[in-house]
Amino acid sequence: MTMWNRHVSGELAAYVDGALTPRAARQVELHLAKCTRCRTGCDHVRSGMAMVEHLPSVEAPGAIWVAIEAELREPRPGRAPASRSWRLALAAMAIVAIAGFAAWRFAHPPGTRWEVRRLEGAPAVGARSISGVGRVGIGEWIETDSRSRAMVTIGEIGSVEVAPQTRLRVLATRPDEHRLALARGEIRATISAPPRLFFVDTPSGTAVDLGCEYTLNTDEDGFGLLRVTRGWVSFQWNALESLVPAGASCSTRPQIGPGLPYFDDASDAMKEALARFGLEKGERSAVDIILAESRVRDTLTLWHLLSRVDAGERTRVYDRIAALAPIPVGVSREKALVLDPDTMTRWREELAWTW
Amino acid sequence: MWRLGLAASAVATMAFGQAFTFTIGSPVASQDSRSKMAAFVFRVEGCAEPASAQVGGTAEGLVHGARTSVALKLTPMSRPGVYAVFPTWPAEGDWVVNLNGTCARERAGALIPIGPGGFIRVSSKFLPRPATAPEIDTALQTLSQGRHP
Repeated sequence: MTMWNRHVSGELAAYVDGALTPRAARQVELHLAKCTRCRTGCDHVRSGMAMVEHLPSVEAPGAIWVAIEAELREPRPGRAPASRSWRLALAAMAIVAIAGFAAWRFAHPPGTRWEVRRLEGAPAVGARSISGVGRVGIGEWIETDSRSRAMVTIGEIGSVEVAPQTRLRVLATRPDEHRLALARGEIRATISAPPRLFFVDTPSGTAVDLGCEYTLNTDEDGFGLLRVTRGWVSFQWNALESLVPAGASCSTRPQIGPGLPYFDDASDAMKEALARFGLEKGERSAVDIILAESRVRDTLTLWHLLSRVDAGERTRVYDRIAALAPIPVGVSREKALVLDPDTMTRWREELAWTW
Repeated sequence: MWRLGLAASAVATMAFGQAFTFTIGSPVASQDSRSKMAAFVFRVEGCAEPASAQVGGTAEGLVHGARTSVALKLTPMSRPGVYAVFPTWPAEGDWVVNLNGTCARERAGALIPIGPGGFIRVSSKFLPRPATAPEIDTALQTLSQGRHP
């Protein structure tokens, strides 16, 4: 019986894995072209392998190697060669076991599953409504309608309250990276952890926790607002970064990213100018108003403005900061105007005593 | 010997261009995430070795008309000479934080009123010595009468 006349279940794993010789692979293909049963088997092997490829690698326990070595050392009596059907059955069982495990893993994503507690209404994790306490894992969505709220426990580092009309996805639950994606709506995060362990992605910026409490909202297009109540948040998008301390806010816009951070008690005229800044029209007049309206603590905004205006405008911004707060030791005009990183950090840290 | 110390102190002051004092700021100024829950942070200024400055203080309160005093919890931050002041005083009543410190032979004091929105920077007083009892009482009365900005 030639290969294209007999079933090829035993070769499917090697075929999908690309381990057959070109000639053997061609024979499998010829058989698959006319055998529905083997084609179905081949599809199962393919999907099983695809899922297995996404599994995390786990180191085998040390004890297993001791057992293997002991087994290898033991003298073995001669064994009769296994029959072909016996080997086929074993291969089939292995494939079924792998596919089964992969399917189970697909339904139960790896990593820690965080607790989701209903606060109001009927929040959902995936398609399941939470009536009391549920669990959410990597890749799953938490969704609230207009009457629902939920509280998510973020590992051991804090919690996130999910406001109504919010869609939130869990992206990572590792001890060194707790990451959510906020597609729309609002969350309130309370985090007690060293900086840079908790992240929230939005369509136009990522909030990086630097030890803080904050609210973050966004619409599906990426218009959003970050408001910090304790500590710091770094709001990032591409190469842009806004450092937002307690008492300050920062808006973000699609294709532009985080704007200039400002203290919530800044003047209305300044806030209106900040909303216009970054848009092509009225840039110059917006800078004029921001400079004129700035108080000492608004050096937060001015310090960020330095790196977002051209060299000509930068001089005006520098002079305005210098008029509001003494230039500290270690900061020179020359270095500040070229945005020397060490100088800028030194200056920000000193200005922060007035924020 | 004391003349030598005085001279050294004077030289140190001249070298740093300012007398020993405190600067206060919101918790973010410490650049230390452990200060997140602090009422405020402060640092010592004009001290050659900020880490060796001795600092302490109390929270002085006026609760239902009665004067009271609570020990302060000062936590050193990662940067030398920077401390966080965590609220150890009750929520009710009016409170003023009374800081004092010593660097070499120099002394410094500060009175920082605590309002509903946190420490009141503009009403804080910085002294070249610890605050006296009458100064503390005056600060408390000003706070309780709502005369702070």
